[in-house]
Amino acid sequence: MNWDILIRYAPALVGGFGVTIFCWLMGSAVGLAIGFAVALAAAVPSRALKAVLRVYVEVLRGTPFLMQLFILYSGGPAIGLRLSATTAGIVGLGLYSSAYYSEIFRAGFAAVPRGQIEAAMSVGMAPIDILARVRLPIALVAAAPPIINTLIVMSKETVVLSIITVPELMYQMQTMAAETFTAFDAIFAMAVFYWCLVEVVSRLGRRVEERATAFLASR
Amino acid sequence: MTVPMISMRAVGKSFGAHQVLRGVDLDVLGSEVVCLIGPSGSGKSTLLRCVNFLESYDEGEVRIEGELIGYDIDKVGARRLMAQKRLREMRREIGMVFQHFNLWPHMTALENVSEPLVRVRGLKKAEASERAAAMLKRVGLAEKAHTHPQRLSGGQQQRVAIARALAMQPRVMLFDEPTSALDPELVGEVLEVMRALAADGMTMLIVTHEMGFAAHVANRIAFIDEGRIIDEGPPRHVFHQSKEPRVRQFLQTYHDRNAF
Amino acid sequence: MRLSVIFHSFGYLTQAAGVTIALSLAGIALGFVFGTLACVARFSGKPWLERLGGAYVSVFRGVPLLVLLLFVYYFLATVGLDVPALVAAIGGLSLSSGAYQAEILRGALNAVPRGQAEAATALGYTAFDCWRRILLPQALRISIPPLINEFILLIKASSLVSVVGIAEITRVSMNIASMTYRPLEAYLAGGLFYLAINLSLAGLGGLAERCAAGGAR
Repeated sequence: MNWDILIRYAPALVGGFGVTIFCWLMGSAVGLAIGFAVALAAAVPSRALKAVLRVYVEVLRGTPFLMQLFILYSGGPAIGLRLSATTAGIVGLGLYSSAYYSEIFRAGFAAVPRGQIEAAMSVGMAPIDILARVRLPIALVAAAPPIINTLIVMSKETVVLSIITVPELMYQMQTMAAETFTAFDAIFAMAVFYWCLVEVVSRLGRRVEERATAFLASR
Repeated sequence: MTVPMISMRAVGKSFGAHQVLRGVDLDVLGSEVVCLIGPSGSGKSTLLRCVNFLESYDEGEVRIEGELIGYDIDKVGARRLMAQKRLREMRREIGMVFQHFNLWPHMTALENVSEPLVRVRGLKKAEASERAAAMLKRVGLAEKAHTHPQRLSGGQQQRVAIARALAMQPRVMLFDEPTSALDPELVGEVLEVMRALAADGMTMLIVTHEMGFAAHVANRIAFIDEGRIIDEGPPRHVFHQSKEPRVRQFLQTYHDRNAF
Repeated sequence: MRLSVIFHSFGYLTQAAGVTIALSLAGIALGFVFGTLACVARFSGKPWLERLGGAYVSVFRGVPLLVLLLFVYYFLATVGLDVPALVAAIGGLSLSSGAYQAEILRGALNAVPRGQAEAATALGYTAFDCWRRILLPQALRISIPPLINEFILLIKASSLVSVVGIAEITRVSMNIASMTYRPLEAYLAGGLFYLAINLSLAGLGGLAERCAAGGAR
């Protein structure tokens, strides 16, 4: 690894990393928000709504992320949607992850033991209070491990954004590689970098999973 | 004086800091039925599992027909783990019946019994199937030969498990709480099979809570508490004449004491 | 929106779908070999093998597929192999999938009750026979629903091999987009093909799950 090249490109790489984190955080925030809304909406007793939401989830989970990005970024202008690469990246990541998060939240709510809800009803709590004070906290704890797993998966998906020219880390690496003919070293460095990142976050995630499982088991 | 089928001397075992067995001495002679009783956590199952070395014992000796199991003594007199091949050979002669049956769900009852005959005893498939069918008949399940374990009741599954162990023609049979996982009304059919086995002269070492069975079928009872055998003898002695307070306290909880 | 574009591209996309499915099949098959080897290594009892298996799973789940694909592509280019693109594609897909399959298999093996192996040991089975006759048949049965899910993920992942130029669905959609200047229709058409493949697989998976649940209670 040629250290001069690395130092020369350091600003671009750090900037790229910043874009990666930015897209990941924004995209995940959007995804969590939409996913949560979809999970709540699915509880509404309307066949039509449930069908629409079902289609939403199946389409977003049944097609590749790259395809969805192309549709947004390259296909968008055809219907008047002119997004910058980064915006398209965030919107794309948000929509794609929302499909997964909605299923996670749905499972989280389903994991609330029926007995706890019945206990709340029998003391006369209002439905909105039951939701806020009993169902939501427990559902969130149950959802935490799969959410963290999905966050990790989405962090790896950010490299796909480089294909639609979002200037994140992978894109900057490839630019550096092309300009300096160090493709192999650059890719190798990327691989090591992501491996370390994912390994560290996974370990933290496993700790969260242990605490969550212990919490749920005690109930 | 014949060599005992099973001979245990000063057997000790620890799981980490916790000592589960302390200095256990026990013999089981040929055609004898010995029942191990005692409170939970006393080490009964662990002791049983040391006999076929499913659990390794740390101290003392366990001998099957005079041969040390699990360990070899090498030329300098030190002890080291026995070769896997010899251990497997010894295990062939020891049959084991587990509390949770441990039948293989992807095979039928007949296949469960014939599979070890092919795989371990080296029989041809046809002969193995024949022997397996005969064994299933012996435990009263001939018509269930082609049924999968999931479709059998607990009592039936345990009888298939006994047939599987028996088919190997072992010299001694070990039973680890064979009826503890069964519904009360299914216990009888399994005990009946075990009674018949004993009558046929099989050497049996049984960990059980079935005091009535122990009283009527066992030649000897051994009471274990906290890893030690604190009393031993014919059923009459242990159940009615024991001087050990712990034994009397334990048996107090069995309302049907008067029945035996 | 010009639907005619979608209809005219059907022929090309069907062919591309064949490539996508073939790639994914190769990926999952080879991945199965890697995954099984890694899993057996982790259960082997020899520390160095266990660490090797663990490292394989950790590395190939941690590195994003795109990075892996480009890595294999450039690595093979330096070594000078003749068909780098295809080899890179299948190599990358299978190495990545293998890591996930190793985890699937590990979960399946853990799901087989311990007592079954114990019964085999007590009867005098060798470790090899125990694996072959008792553990693996059941673990494989349990693995089928998650493996079908893995195949769906692989179909989606194969879209990334477009970057090394292979004519699967995504690449062909990109070509159609640049030829017809109608990217929206082109990509929607491609998306439809992926959806069709994956929904069929999901249906198959549901069927397999019901069969597995009904059979081994």
